[in-house]
Amino acid sequence: MPDDLPAIELVHATKRYGDTVALDDVSMRIAPGEFYCLLGPSGCGKTTTLNLIGGFVPLTSGELRIEGQQVNDLPPHKRNVNTVFQNYALFPHMSVARNVAFGLEMDGVKGPEVERRVDEYLELVGLLALKDRLPQQLSGGQQQRVALARALVKRPAVLLLDEPLGALDLKLRKQMQVELARIHRQVRTTFVFVTHDQGEALSMATRIAVMDAGRIAQEGTPQEIYYQPADRFVADFIGESNFVAGRPSQGTDGPVLELASGERVALPAATASLATGEEATVMVRPECVDVGLEPPPGPGWAVIRGRAIGVSFLGDLTRVTVVTAAGEVVASRPHAERSRAAALGSLLDEEVSVWWSTAESIVIRQG
Amino acid sequence: MTAQAGGPVPGLPAEAHAGSRGAALGRLWPFGPAAAVLLFLFFIPLAIVFVYSFWTVQNLQLIPTWTLQNYLKFFQTDTYIRTFLKTIIMAVLVTAAGIGMAFPFAYFLARYVSTRWQRVLLLAVIIPFWSSYLVRVYAWQAILGEKGALNWLLMQVGLISEPLTIFLYNDVGVFIVLTYVYFPFAALSLYSSLEKFDFTQLTAAQDLGATPLRAMRRILLPQVRPGFITAMIFVFIPIIGEYLTPTLVGGTKGVLIGNLIVNFYRGGAFPAMAAASFIIAAFIILLLVLFRRYLQLDDVVTKL
Repeated sequence: MPDDLPAIELVHATKRYGDTVALDDVSMRIAPGEFYCLLGPSGCGKTTTLNLIGGFVPLTSGELRIEGQQVNDLPPHKRNVNTVFQNYALFPHMSVARNVAFGLEMDGVKGPEVERRVDEYLELVGLLALKDRLPQQLSGGQQQRVALARALVKRPAVLLLDEPLGALDLKLRKQMQVELARIHRQVRTTFVFVTHDQGEALSMATRIAVMDAGRIAQEGTPQEIYYQPADRFVADFIGESNFVAGRPSQGTDGPVLELASGERVALPAATASLATGEEATVMVRPECVDVGLEPPPGPGWAVIRGRAIGVSFLGDLTRVTVVTAAGEVVASRPHAERSRAAALGSLLDEEVSVWWSTAESIVIRQG
Repeated sequence: MTAQAGGPVPGLPAEAHAGSRGAALGRLWPFGPAAAVLLFLFFIPLAIVFVYSFWTVQNLQLIPTWTLQNYLKFFQTDTYIRTFLKTIIMAVLVTAAGIGMAFPFAYFLARYVSTRWQRVLLLAVIIPFWSSYLVRVYAWQAILGEKGALNWLLMQVGLISEPLTIFLYNDVGVFIVLTYVYFPFAALSLYSSLEKFDFTQLTAAQDLGATPLRAMRRILLPQVRPGFITAMIFVFIPIIGEYLTPTLVGGTKGVLIGNLIVNFYRGGAFPAMAAASFIIAAFIILLLVLFRRYLQLDDVVTKL
């Protein structure tokens, strides 16, 4: 973390609704200019966190600072943060330009300055040509852009985005992800983005906080979250995972995981410190797993035997599901050549091996 | 939705829009009964009354004289003018009080109450319509009278030691009862408008720097204006013609223009009655024209 003042700082923040704890002693620091993603299933506390920062719900205990200032009791209209709402909440009786101008007028900005800034931010989101339209004359994606311009035009310290892409169809959502990332680079405002869509979080965020049951399960860059999940919950929630459980022990070529069947699966050398005899789980991503009739020779591979019970051709890749002594393992293989797809297809119902480089194994806590 | 203009209307048989006059008339027949009712029970009686307003009465006989005397007399008689003005003031006050109470009620209902309870509370507002207007107004006599429930309550609480007579048989009584009678109209009109409003907009307005009050004024009010206009029309206009409530709880002091018209009628002064009626009608039409000009009556009509 950089040393300068964080844009947002939560210190032991707790929010209770009656007996329900929505946010449980959460602390976080969001640096200026970050694209910070709150990611988690519904009810994990991510929207509560956003509402706390926006000032729409009060903290039960703890502290919230915006640019170093404690703002626990500051009402929403006095906070230097603006929100893009899930349903956009555009004002239907005002034109696009008047919608964007609203926040400036509330701040007492007057005359040509209002027009200049409205134009500037409508230009930023690519909607300058539609400034005189009414919101209901715009498509969902365009309404989304108006909401963005309306919030950004006030140049807030932090822009809050509450699942803003949720209402858009898949193709538009992908476009808006690229667009949001561009706008973020251009305005350099701190973005705090709430989503339950891991793809959105991974593609746009500079940092992600994975939340679960009112707590932060893990915080880190998209790559850290993806490749070094802190626990089973995170590994399960982000992307797809294979879990292999067994007891660690010392094999001839280094540490191994002994499966219930007696099979021994090589572990990365660095995991030698795992307590022998205790149950441990190894996670590996499907795209790291290869599958075939025979494993490659040599050390450095974790290998399990099994039977291929499912082969799905997905165009750019094939997914092979293999039943092993450690449960189902999925291998997701890209097709560099089309012959590869046919080769994978022929594995159905065969006795096969799945294998992966031990470097791709991640020993995880049971979450 | 207008893209289909000129083309065949989907869902209608081909002959229906063939353009022949017979076919067009054939389509209009369902209007027949309603048109007949409107013609015979509204327009023709109205025309008769309109004609009467230019006639005179001598020895209880109507004489077709074609004079404006009846109208002039109305405007030259102090009592008539005062009663008319009082009626307008009463209508304004009741409309204000009705909307003043109905708005918080409808706002709370639409914003904070679950759909299920919204239905229950709306039903509670509608239930009075299931009983006779007359019965409800009589009930108010029992509440507001000298030995009525209100006086009993005030004495029990100890606020007064002697029963008060200020609630009944005067303008106060008329105001209270009219406010009660017209509250549901105001509440339902406002509710139907507020119920469609997306309240996140108020949150968004505050997020953008508006105080809660400003958010309400700049964002909510312009969007629920049709509801307000509907409420005003449904409350203000019927009160101008109110007759029963002032008769029952107004006594001699609480007379409104409607009572005056009935008195003309009973006294056989049909021309005076007709002229007063048309003065009221003209006033209301004038108001509606103004509303239409400045307050987008079209919206109201579509909302109804």
